[in-house]
Amino acid sequence: MRRDFLKLCGLAGLGVAAPLGSVRASSKEPDAYDGPYFAVFNASGGWDTTYLMDPKGVGGINRLYKAGDILTEGTLNFAPSAANIDRAKKGNLSNEDFFKRYAKELFVLNGLDYSVNNHAPCSRYMATGKLDSLAYPTFAALVAAAKGPECPIAFLTFGNYSNTGNIVPMARVPYLPTLGRIANADCVEGNPRSPYHEDFVNDRIEAALRSQSDVRASQARLPRIEHAHSMLYAAQLNAKALQRVTPFINQKPPRERLARQAEIALASFKAGVCVSANLSIGQFDSHANNDRDQMKLIPELLGGIDYMLRRAEELGIRDKLVIVMQSEMGRTPNYNKGEGKDHWSIGSMMFLGPGIKGDRVIGSTDDGQFLNPIDAQTLVVAQDPDKGLRMRPEQVHQSLREFAGIAGHEASKKFPFVIPEGERLRGALFG
Amino acid sequence: MISRRLFLCLSASIAGLFSLAPADELQHPAGSAAERNFFTEEVWGKVAARTCLKCHKAGGDAEDSEFILLDPLRDGALEHNRELLTKLAKLREPETGGSRMLLKVIGELDHGGEDVLTKSSTRYRILADFVRRTNGERPAPVTLANATPFFEGVRMIDDRRLLRRLTLQLGARLPTPEEYAAVQVRGLAAISLVLDDLMNEEAFYDRLAEGFNDIFLTPGIDDVAENVLSYEHFDKTRHWYQKKDFSHIKDEQKRKEAGWELARHYRESIQREPMELVKYIVRNDRPFTELITADYIMVSPYSARGYGIFEEVKDRFKDIDDRFEYIPVRLKSLKGRSEKTNQESATGFYPHAGVLSTFQYLKRYPTTETNRNRLRVRMYFQHFLGIDIMQLAPRVNDAAAISAKYEVPTMQATDCVVCHKIIDPVAGVFQDFYALDGKGVYQPRAGGWFEDMFPPGHEGEALPESERWRGLQWLGERTAKDPRFAIAMVEHVWYLLSGRKALRPPEDIDHPLFAGRQRAYTGQRRQIELIAKQFAADKFDLKGVFRAAALSKFYRADGLAAVANDPARLAELGDLGVVRLLSPEQIERKLKAIFGSDWGRLGDQFNILYGGIDSKEVTERIADPSGAMGAIQRMMANEVACRQVPKDFARKPEDRLLFPGIEPDVVPAAGTEAKLRTTILHLHQRLLGRFDKSDSAEVDRTYELFAGIIAEANERGRFEPREIYSCRVQGEGDKRVEDPHYTMRAWRAVVTYLLRQHEFLYE
Repeated sequence: MRRDFLKLCGLAGLGVAAPLGSVRASSKEPDAYDGPYFAVFNASGGWDTTYLMDPKGVGGINRLYKAGDILTEGTLNFAPSAANIDRAKKGNLSNEDFFKRYAKELFVLNGLDYSVNNHAPCSRYMATGKLDSLAYPTFAALVAAAKGPECPIAFLTFGNYSNTGNIVPMARVPYLPTLGRIANADCVEGNPRSPYHEDFVNDRIEAALRSQSDVRASQARLPRIEHAHSMLYAAQLNAKALQRVTPFINQKPPRERLARQAEIALASFKAGVCVSANLSIGQFDSHANNDRDQMKLIPELLGGIDYMLRRAEELGIRDKLVIVMQSEMGRTPNYNKGEGKDHWSIGSMMFLGPGIKGDRVIGSTDDGQFLNPIDAQTLVVAQDPDKGLRMRPEQVHQSLREFAGIAGHEASKKFPFVIPEGERLRGALFG
Repeated sequence: MISRRLFLCLSASIAGLFSLAPADELQHPAGSAAERNFFTEEVWGKVAARTCLKCHKAGGDAEDSEFILLDPLRDGALEHNRELLTKLAKLREPETGGSRMLLKVIGELDHGGEDVLTKSSTRYRILADFVRRTNGERPAPVTLANATPFFEGVRMIDDRRLLRRLTLQLGARLPTPEEYAAVQVRGLAAISLVLDDLMNEEAFYDRLAEGFNDIFLTPGIDDVAENVLSYEHFDKTRHWYQKKDFSHIKDEQKRKEAGWELARHYRESIQREPMELVKYIVRNDRPFTELITADYIMVSPYSARGYGIFEEVKDRFKDIDDRFEYIPVRLKSLKGRSEKTNQESATGFYPHAGVLSTFQYLKRYPTTETNRNRLRVRMYFQHFLGIDIMQLAPRVNDAAAISAKYEVPTMQATDCVVCHKIIDPVAGVFQDFYALDGKGVYQPRAGGWFEDMFPPGHEGEALPESERWRGLQWLGERTAKDPRFAIAMVEHVWYLLSGRKALRPPEDIDHPLFAGRQRAYTGQRRQIELIAKQFAADKFDLKGVFRAAALSKFYRADGLAAVANDPARLAELGDLGVVRLLSPEQIERKLKAIFGSDWGRLGDQFNILYGGIDSKEVTERIADPSGAMGAIQRMMANEVACRQVPKDFARKPEDRLLFPGIEPDVVPAAGTEAKLRTTILHLHQRLLGRFDKSDSAEVDRTYELFAGIIAEANERGRFEPREIYSCRVQGEGDKRVEDPHYTMRAWRAVVTYLLRQHEFLYE
């Protein structure tokens, strides 16, 4: 009966903390989540794809290089940047170094159609795959809900659109040492040798709370109250698992903003207390001085991604880490009067991780930075553009769900994509 | 056996009888309940309000057409719209006989170049149904609206708990015994009176400022606060604190600290100004329309110095050293470093328009050369009219191609015009505040306002050039008269009280639970509109909104009489119940109210981690706790219990808050159980607001916890006869608290248990 009730709550648009499909939150501390882990990097504000993975160098689109300067690593073309960035700045990484290190694993998607060109709807669209709904969770939240809802910080966010769809709580951890301070919440100053209560007292407190929770579960309650009871119980129970983070707290955390976020996410992944993280740096919205801003931020972004991958390697979880790199829009193929570039509704994404076939590009744009429709089956540029497919975030997100193995999960079914028959991808996007 | 002919006649007669019933049902005179309901719920609710109204209204893209719908907030709008749509539904194409309405919406007749619906869509089917019904044809069966009263089976919160919720929420205190007594006798009527007094307490105004800050977020600028005062107009005064003489402080470190403290206080005093305006309006019973029309700002002795007006106004302060005493002032029009940057003003004064024209608001929502004040417009609509214009951006076929095709897409491309026709005129009203990229606030655009934008104005009314210098005041005056303003303010109060935004119409009309969700939305909406109407009639007395909302069933809904299994009913009830996870600030205030002191760690240290905001990067509070928040809850419960239990027992019995009628030497036994249960009842009431009976299951559980701990401690043999070192009484040095019976530790466990519960952590 309770399982049916949860299903009904699911239909009613309520996330109940007891994981979808299970009866209720377990009474024991959750097992460590063992991966895969998902990190979504957001270049917030709209990156200039022609200065990264979709180089042009023609028609005045770029002032810092020409078409002949475009570089290649494997099958991936990219824009040169080393000569225009501050390589001495700690944490920066040039395009050259990034592609040299990761091209073999990198899957690039060009010619993505955002349909609109305003930050708020585009951020939502990019994060969730759904433009016309405020209810949909981000992919990071969805995968956390599907794969590890009992994790104490299943979905970690550092900014950008972070809607959870009410199916998983979000966690904001601004500083890594903070996690250490709360890791042993039942001990004085977090010192495991100084518990507030003796074990038998703690056991009795937990038993009393569990008993209360059991009694309440059988009572008539408003759905919202039931949801809150459930979330609260799960949060306090699952909190104990945070102790696992302590050994992975870097005592010398990095100073660079993305690296700091990455450090928190990785410690949480390694400890098995987190499934996904939404990382973000902003100010890509280069309406004035596009070249200066993009050459400042793209290397910082790539440096942050590089940091994450190297640290993951050190922690032994590199082979379980999936990275999604995105932005809510691109930049125009021309400069405005302020040397800036404005919003452009065609953009790109990059992916890397286990199960993702690298050294591959799908989609493209022409010399005017308009997208080339693709063949839904072969995923190559359609011979007849009128019969080709405009790749949009919902197709990418549908593919992401399939890739992550959550397309059939209750959480995904609650937030379906309605993709007309003729617009569905037939080929496997991630290889 | 009857003949075939007779059979057929009989059949026809019988069929006719049956067919009469449905036909008779169909021939309802217009205005019957079923017809009205069908129009309201289906035609209007699912189709016209969501699609037609976007363009077919005054100021909309189709305003030149003959089909103009009225804003639903206007009196009589629904009836007008029903009549108009009914008339339209009767029109036929002369050649084909097809319905003009249906042909237009699928683009088979010219419809401004747009096919709005597809034939297979639910919305088209609804319109087709409507056309058939209007023309007396046989439609699909009509499902009448759910006749069950919305609140049937819903229990309301106990009056005493409601009282406690309100005094904590709005007054940061527990109810007094007199208040409890009054409510026991007079119920909600007493609560209404308590509210009146409560809303005159200082804590209420603080809460008001905090709540409205969640909405306006004015402190969240990317700069030090004094730089809301531009270099161009305040260069000589805005950094006054840097010239303050601290030479009388001999110690160098202390001198520096004094300087830092002054800077900190000055900045905070500037940051607070917009919310001090909110407080001032409500405290002085002024119409809340002054939120956008007030011809003054609030300044403190500190911020007045920044504006360079301290000498002029200092006599109006009660205490010029109170950095947070605020008085209303009108600024003179801005004088720049050169004449050409002087502010234009017909009156010699700055054209204040409530919060909207404050430097803090305009700097919080800056503009750029490309943005052209559109962010400000978005926030204006959201904050003052309750409309998120970016909420549901319509899908555009190819935004990039549109950008390339049209010279000015925002004025030429239909997909863009639909929004920009509304946004851009208002953007032009802000034109004199065109200092870019956060560098100041007031600065008309060199060369005049953009000509490739719809001209400045609002809702179809142009901004006269003579009014340009006071454009925001002009806008404010119109906003104050807009019925949406009252609704937006009621929604803000609802958010402040419940922690949740008001419901929006459900999006997916094809969802199986759409009807339930729609009912949830319309039920709440009607309540909001009723309160808004009264608010406007009461000259925008905001306290009246608090009163009405707090006493409404939506605020008081607390439980169900029986388990609900019907998914549709669950969908209707989905948003009911306050159920608010307390914010870091609310928890600290609650702890202070209950224990006499707060915890002190949910400020800077754990604020963001526990779901708080910084008004800048983090602007939305977390509604559901993660495991990290669960850990903080555990920490708080442990630490507060550790501190407060021995502290309370160290007080004289008559001064105790937690244990007024019991001593630590009372152990569970036959003769002591009643006393122990009484203590537990008191703790339940004080910490959780529960009014249990002595033999209730909840009291049983707490008693068993207490008694079980002591029993087990004894069973285990010897135990340390003193409390743990950390749980000492402050002020008594290293002295550990004696606990020979383990009762202190058991009571501490009880308090820990209670502080981890829903009734403490939520409202």
